[in-house]
Amino acid sequence: MSVVSLNGIGRSVALPDGEVLRILTGVDLVVEAGEHVAVVGRSGSGKSTLLNLVGLLDRPTSGEYLLDGRPTTGMSARRTAKLRGATFGFVFQQFNLLPGRSATDNVASPLFYGSSREFLRRRSIARAMLTRVGLGGRLDTMPEKLSGGEQQRVALARSLVRRPRVLLADEPTGALDVDTGSAVMDVLEELVREDGTTLVTITHDLAVAARADRRFRLDHGVLTQLDDAALHGATADRSAP
Amino acid sequence: MGLLAAITEAWQEVRVHRVRVVLSLVGVFLAVFAMTTITAVGRMGAQMLQESSDRSQGRAATLQLDVYSSDGSSTVDAESMAQLRSVVARHGIPWSSLTGSLQFPARLPAGTKLVSGTIVEPRYGEMHRIQVLQGRWFTDADTDRFAPALVVDQQFADGLGGFDPAAPPTVVLGGDTPVRGTVIGVVDDRNTDGVSAWVLPGDVERWISADTTYGSAQLGMQVWVPDRDAEALQQVLQQELTASVPGGNAGVYRYDSGEELGVVNVVLAYGVRGIGIFALVLGGIGVLNVGLVTVRQRIREIGVRRSFGATSGRVFFAVLFESVCATAAAGALAVLLSVAIISNLPLSLILPQGISLTDVPPYPWEAALEGFLAATAIGALAGLVPAVMAVRAQVIDAIRY
Ligand SMILES: Nc1ncnc2c1ncn2[C@@H]1O[C@H](COP(=O)(O)OP(=O)(O)O)[C@@H](O)[C@H]1O
Ligand SMILES: [Mg+2]
Repeated sequence: MSVVSLNGIGRSVALPDGEVLRILTGVDLVVEAGEHVAVVGRSGSGKSTLLNLVGLLDRPTSGEYLLDGRPTTGMSARRTAKLRGATFGFVFQQFNLLPGRSATDNVASPLFYGSSREFLRRRSIARAMLTRVGLGGRLDTMPEKLSGGEQQRVALARSLVRRPRVLLADEPTGALDVDTGSAVMDVLEELVREDGTTLVTITHDLAVAARADRRFRLDHGVLTQLDDAALHGATADRSAP
Repeated sequence: MGLLAAITEAWQEVRVHRVRVVLSLVGVFLAVFAMTTITAVGRMGAQMLQESSDRSQGRAATLQLDVYSSDGSSTVDAESMAQLRSVVARHGIPWSSLTGSLQFPARLPAGTKLVSGTIVEPRYGEMHRIQVLQGRWFTDADTDRFAPALVVDQQFADGLGGFDPAAPPTVVLGGDTPVRGTVIGVVDDRNTDGVSAWVLPGDVERWISADTTYGSAQLGMQVWVPDRDAEALQQVLQQELTASVPGGNAGVYRYDSGEELGVVNVVLAYGVRGIGIFALVLGGIGVLNVGLVTVRQRIREIGVRRSFGATSGRVFFAVLFESVCATAAAGALAVLLSVAIISNLPLSLILPQGISLTDVPPYPWEAALEGFLAATAIGALAGLVPAVMAVRAQVIDAIRY
């Protein structure tokens, strides 16, 4: 069964001058369990907005979003928050680690929202997760003292520590150099494969997109699936609808 | 478990942000410290005033009952003593003491001295907070001795060559018909001029007042009654005494200065508290200010926590908790410091000569508790606005760059 199913999703915001900005229009997207999907698009095309909608951080202004076949509209804010924490893991471009807290504390932070078992054993779970991303030697290091690649691996460990069914990565290599970025992607893909996690990656980077099972392109709020030919063609802008 | 997780998480937050937490607290800390310390010092001051007034004028409420014979003098005679006693007994007043004054000569080794004597009964000691330095104060057993018993001041005891409780010194009293009295104790006397002694009315009647060379003894009675009964009793006693003295008259009046001292307590209760609350509010504004400034920095962190599944309630709790925790800790610290200072005050060094504190008032724990609770409440109030702001922040805005 498909995990995420978006039908004609639109998202618009009212601008201060009274105009309505349509960030997303008529987005259809179905993601199957365990699948790896990539979304490419230029800056400002609505990629983050789309990912936030999928992750229940934001709500669409039109269309229907089914999560595990169940509608998400009309759910209470509290229920939405719980469902978000239990279902999704997020990796951000800017890592967004909590300053002043060690790598272990950062990775343990989502476990405060999990089951009693997760809360009580949070430190050992966090350490095991950090070891999995190859940071078993930097458990007590503060994020400020880590390199960019290491910080993103801490963020990756944190996003996966509650064993989410869907990992949402918003330009995970965007702040890293090419080699570091691809090393982080290696770790990410390995973990995701081991756990059978569904992965939605947003990226500028065609090399990153090329690793996905299916690729989409977002242009001015409109989502289209790419075929491999279009991806390998030089201009990503001129894709067929 | 959810609550435990919320508290643990919030506490971790407080620890990580301890610098900003401590900074926001200076005002609250000072306010609580000042409030509790001033109250404690004020209590001590009031207690000192109270004690010194209790010694000279009796405790609140002390009524003085006087009976005058037809010639206007009040003398120590069996009849008026019996009248006073029966009136007091009829009202079941447990704390009473005949009291009066007289002067009598005492033959000290260095020569005869005129002693200013106070006529008292055993209960007088408690009623006037008499402090015994050596030996003891009167007991009921002293009323039927075969020789007069005396309690004297230090000057008198020194004149006798000191006081030894194992072998109480004796002294010859009176002029023409001398009697040998036994000194049973030495007490602290504030009245430093002249030699003082305290004697029982029975002894005065039997032995000492026989000598009228130095003027007759004045006698009345003091009763120590509950403050609220004082006024009514005063009137009733006045009527009954007047009726029982044919041809003479009687007077009953308030002897202590309880009413004036009440003012000090009112100032402490309302003045200090009012200023304290004002200071606390200022401290609270400091906390609010820091909270408002830092909530902006926290929005991103809150957004990240939202992505972990933090509910609005949890976000609200975390921000409020930091504020409440911090002010509660500041309040508790302030109270502790205040207790430490107050209970280690070197009173004997600070107090002026001649003023002492027998019953050091206990540390005003109600004031401390009040300060602590007020600080916590201020923390809750000051944390409210940032907490609401944190909840209302858009998650997307929080994590977008
Ligand atoms: N809450 C909002 N209010 C106004 N404009 C917004 C809001 N959210 C997004 N936008 C605008 O919508 C567009 C798409 O944003 P975003 O989804 O972040 O793009 P991307 O991640 O592809 O760069 C941008 O032009 C952005 O400024
Ligand atoms: Mg973006």
